[in-house]
Amino acid sequence: MSVLLDRLTFRYSGGLEPALSDVCAEFRPREVTLVTGQLGAGCSTLLLAIAGLAPRSTGGDREGEVLTLGHDPASPVGTAALAGRIGLLFPTPWTQLSGMAFTVWDEVAFGPANLGWERGRIAQAVVQALALLDVNHLAGRDPRSLSGGELQRVMLAAVVAMEPSVCLLDEPVQELDPEGARAVYDLLPRLADQGTVILASTDIDRAITVTDRIVVMERGHLVADGAPDDVLATAHVVRSGLSTTIATLGHRAGCPGPFPLTVEAAVARYSL
Amino acid sequence: MIVEYQAGHGILHRAHPFTNLTLVGSVAVLAFVLPAPGGPLVLGAALVTLAIAAGLVRILLPAAVVVAPFWGFLLLIHGLLGGEPLRALTFGGRIGTMVLGFLMLLVTIHPARLVDALVARRVPFAFAYLLSATLQAVPRLRDRGRQILEAQRCRGLRVRGSLFRRIGAIVPLTVPLVLGALAEVDDRAMALESRGGGRAVRRTPLDPPVDTMADRSARWVMAVGTLVAVLLQVLK
Repeated sequence: MSVLLDRLTFRYSGGLEPALSDVCAEFRPREVTLVTGQLGAGCSTLLLAIAGLAPRSTGGDREGEVLTLGHDPASPVGTAALAGRIGLLFPTPWTQLSGMAFTVWDEVAFGPANLGWERGRIAQAVVQALALLDVNHLAGRDPRSLSGGELQRVMLAAVVAMEPSVCLLDEPVQELDPEGARAVYDLLPRLADQGTVILASTDIDRAITVTDRIVVMERGHLVADGAPDDVLATAHVVRSGLSTTIATLGHRAGCPGPFPLTVEAAVARYSL
Repeated sequence: MIVEYQAGHGILHRAHPFTNLTLVGSVAVLAFVLPAPGGPLVLGAALVTLAIAAGLVRILLPAAVVVAPFWGFLLLIHGLLGGEPLRALTFGGRIGTMVLGFLMLLVTIHPARLVDALVARRVPFAFAYLLSATLQAVPRLRDRGRQILEAQRCRGLRVRGSLFRRIGAIVPLTVPLVLGALAEVDDRAMALESRGGGRAVRRTPLDPPVDTMADRSARWVMAVGTLVAVLLQVLK
């Protein structure tokens, strides 16, 4: 088990309602999980809690248990044990810039250098991460001169370079064009080969193609958890707007459920 | 205005960051302990010469723009109204010297080199990062201020015109600037931690600057010279 959440409740300081309420879930290695929900559902907070940043950095109160790779990530012992083993990508890549890099290469090397790796290992990890994200051509650029999409891919490369066992990606394609988003989604199963990938996104249409499992959040509660076909194909979920465009189309067209989630599934279902 | 690192190959760009820090520290102290008004003025002239020799001519105008209002007030208050032009020259020399020295530091030390130099000397990463972030605070706030100004203009805020209109525009510009900066501090702290910034392990300096014999000698000369000047001033 990579991540275990047991009756997790989290409330931000001054928050009237808990951001997470009684959440129980398990996240396994070699699995890509999509955590989705409406705005304010608690998806981002869930990632912060798994990383230990909530409440350690955000403040607030946490109840229940969080075990990431066997440690409580918010405890001092867990923080030390998990440093570098959890990779977290924020939805705003510009706030993740170190501010101390001449080049993109330096920026990607920032995390591994903080982990005290030898220079040879750092160089190897950086080269591999840049290649994986297809941003080798940006290696010599000043990170501050990059476009939003380029920066998001570079910051994902920075996460990958740290070789984390648990990858937490919060809206990783928010700044990307469709082609760039496709490339990032294609990368996720490869990242899952080395650990656990938990993706928080509302981009269900594209994320669905690479996720093994979906967790649906609603006002801090975990309301559905299972395989994409089991969770997103029901009329109830489609009506709530948390399914794919194809499923919504099938629902509006009056087709009987469960609805196909992708174009391929729709073609297979309805073609004569 | 130039308030951040500018790439270059001059003597100060090539110098070890500690040498530049020592230079600015010595200048700040000497500006006050050297006999006034000649001392600060000669020191300022020496800095201008060094700036030209180091290929930093482009920072002289920004430095002058920063100190011009101070010089104006000093000339008015001490020179014209107070009848003490030497005092105005003294204060003006000190302010000008320190501003120029600090600008020279900002444009010649890249934060990455400074952090690598500090970490290579086993200075805790947290302290090195804090120092580096301080040097970058001004350009970051300036960039954010520009973005907010453009955004508020798009929303119809008028920042030109009468004095009252300009004063009225201050609040919608400064409130988002301050609140945004505070919010960004949290985001950056979390981002830094998620990238191993808070770890007890010593960071690997990626490309630590070479500390040459010339650098070390220059630092000793500046440090000893400053100390001697301070002692002479104390014993006088």
